[in-house]
Amino acid sequence: MSDKSVVIVGAGHAGVQAAGRLRELGWHGGVIIIDQESHAPYERPPLSKDLLKPDAQDDSALLRKASYFQDKDITLKPATSVLQIDRQKRMVALSDGSGLPYHRLVLATGSSARKLTIPGSELAGVQVLKTKTDALTLKSGLIAGSKVVILGAGYIGLEVAAAAAARGCNVTVLEFQDRVMNRVTSSVVSHYFQKLHESHGIRFAFGSAASHIEGDGRAERVFTTDGAMFEADVVLVGIGVVPHQGLAENAGLECNDGILVDENGLTSDPYVYAAGDVTRSICPFEGTSRRLECIQNALSQADQVASHILGLEPKKPEVPWFWTIQHGLRLQTAGIQQPEDEVLLRGNPADGRFSVLYLRSGRLAAIDTVGGLADFLPGKKLIAAGVELDRTLAADPGAGLAQSARPVAA
Amino acid sequence: MNNVINVIDREGEKHILEWEPDQSLMESLRDNDLPVMASCGGTASCATCHIFLDRDVVVSLGERSEDELELLVETECYDESSSRLSCQVRHDPSLNGLNVVLAPEE
Ligand SMILES: Cc1cc2nc3c(=O)[nH]c(=O)nc-3n(C[C@H](O)[C@H](O)[C@H](O)COP(=O)(O)OP(=O)(O)OC[C@H]3O[C@@H](n4cnc5c(N)ncnc54)[C@H](O)[C@@H]3O)c2cc1C
Ligand code: FES
Repeated sequence: MSDKSVVIVGAGHAGVQAAGRLRELGWHGGVIIIDQESHAPYERPPLSKDLLKPDAQDDSALLRKASYFQDKDITLKPATSVLQIDRQKRMVALSDGSGLPYHRLVLATGSSARKLTIPGSELAGVQVLKTKTDALTLKSGLIAGSKVVILGAGYIGLEVAAAAAARGCNVTVLEFQDRVMNRVTSSVVSHYFQKLHESHGIRFAFGSAASHIEGDGRAERVFTTDGAMFEADVVLVGIGVVPHQGLAENAGLECNDGILVDENGLTSDPYVYAAGDVTRSICPFEGTSRRLECIQNALSQADQVASHILGLEPKKPEVPWFWTIQHGLRLQTAGIQQPEDEVLLRGNPADGRFSVLYLRSGRLAAIDTVGGLADFLPGKKLIAAGVELDRTLAADPGAGLAQSARPVAA
Repeated sequence: MNNVINVIDREGEKHILEWEPDQSLMESLRDNDLPVMASCGGTASCATCHIFLDRDVVVSLGERSEDELELLVETECYDESSSRLSCQVRHDPSLNGLNVVLAPEE
């Protein structure tokens, strides 16, 4: 292998994209990806969606076909952790005892599921959903008639709730806030999805925080701070993620709830880049610093990193976006809404398809589309353009969303 | 059997690729270094895998799903008779020799 190796830590969406783009763009040096997991690099979204379906095969989609890495001369080292970075020597220390020099280092270590710390959290049957191994374990517990208690009504918790209900489980979701997906959407959308879940037999307890879990070797009962008790065979903890930044922190790279990177994915060390869930950067559309947990961000930061390593122009930043599918209903979001945003409804929730527009100073800042995709791309473009909307036109689903842009005053 | 397909990229350059039976058309493009972002992993959510096929091939492939159509119609260069999301096109031996043109990036 040639010297000048780019060493990538993490074979998730960001790491694999960075490796692939380096080759596409003509990088001739070595490309080495190290990952602590032993599965071939795979897509994460299906883990809480298709993989849990009753008739699903025990396999989720791969990020690239199996022979890809060899074909592209990308060295993939699975089941190996990177333990330490020596920035002086430009070397990483691996769990197999070896050391690996790098020309450039890319940290794509993602995030880990936030752990529950209450008494009983360590009992068998209490689990998170982050890896393929987690998904397969979870799936084996979703047996018809079993009691599933889900902590957290975010995307993961709700996708699992839907899958568990479809498999005939008794599902209860405990949520500390007063509505589902509170952090990411408005109350219109929250309530719509809550009703949808309830119509599939799922029960919610809002304002409800788990205090401890009991059971004889295995979780059997979940207690909440207000004294309620829920019987459980499976407890799924979906309370958010934390950036996997220990490696970077220990190496003295600047971190603050995420590894800090610039618009090229560069960290505070000019030889070290980072991409994906693990990073925090300034959002070009809002000017604020944020950490984004979505595929779009992982892929576009990986592209920026690959371009910068090769000295090429970075791509235009893309509006962040996300999707979730629950009981077959699709919610697709572009941009990032804030609680203070003006909420404008487009279409009628009673029809099972509508959009919600989030306006900030009259401009479109974010959009949720529910049950349909017609407004998704136009919404994304309007957000990127930062133009003001005509509220009457924007609220009229009979007119194309793109038409609601106010002409920019000269 | 792998299909052999002809792909014209966004610079007008021609590539000859192998399309393996267990791949969607998007996967074959992406895994052969064509700049198809495929941000949604092939779930008809992103439209970054938009391509044009010959009109008679599109007809032979049958109906597009509602999600696919809604996304496609809103792309800048949508063409009713030739636009497809490549992630929604499954391998079939009858597609050997297929001509594919990558749509411009949105
Ligand atoms: C169940 C589930 C469903 C999701 N659904 C969606 C969705 O529908 N849409 C969406 O946009 N996003 C979704 N996401 C989020 C999305 O998967 C993440 O944003 C994305 O995976 C981030 O990519 P990444 O490369 O930064 O991190 P990851 O994909 O998490 O990859 C990081 C990799 O680094 C490895 N690693 C970490 N530390 C080390 C080390 N020291 N040494 C070696 N290897 C290491 C990890 O094992 C892991 O394989 C979902 C996530 C989950 C878990
Ligand atoms: S890959 Fe996203 S729509 Fe085809």
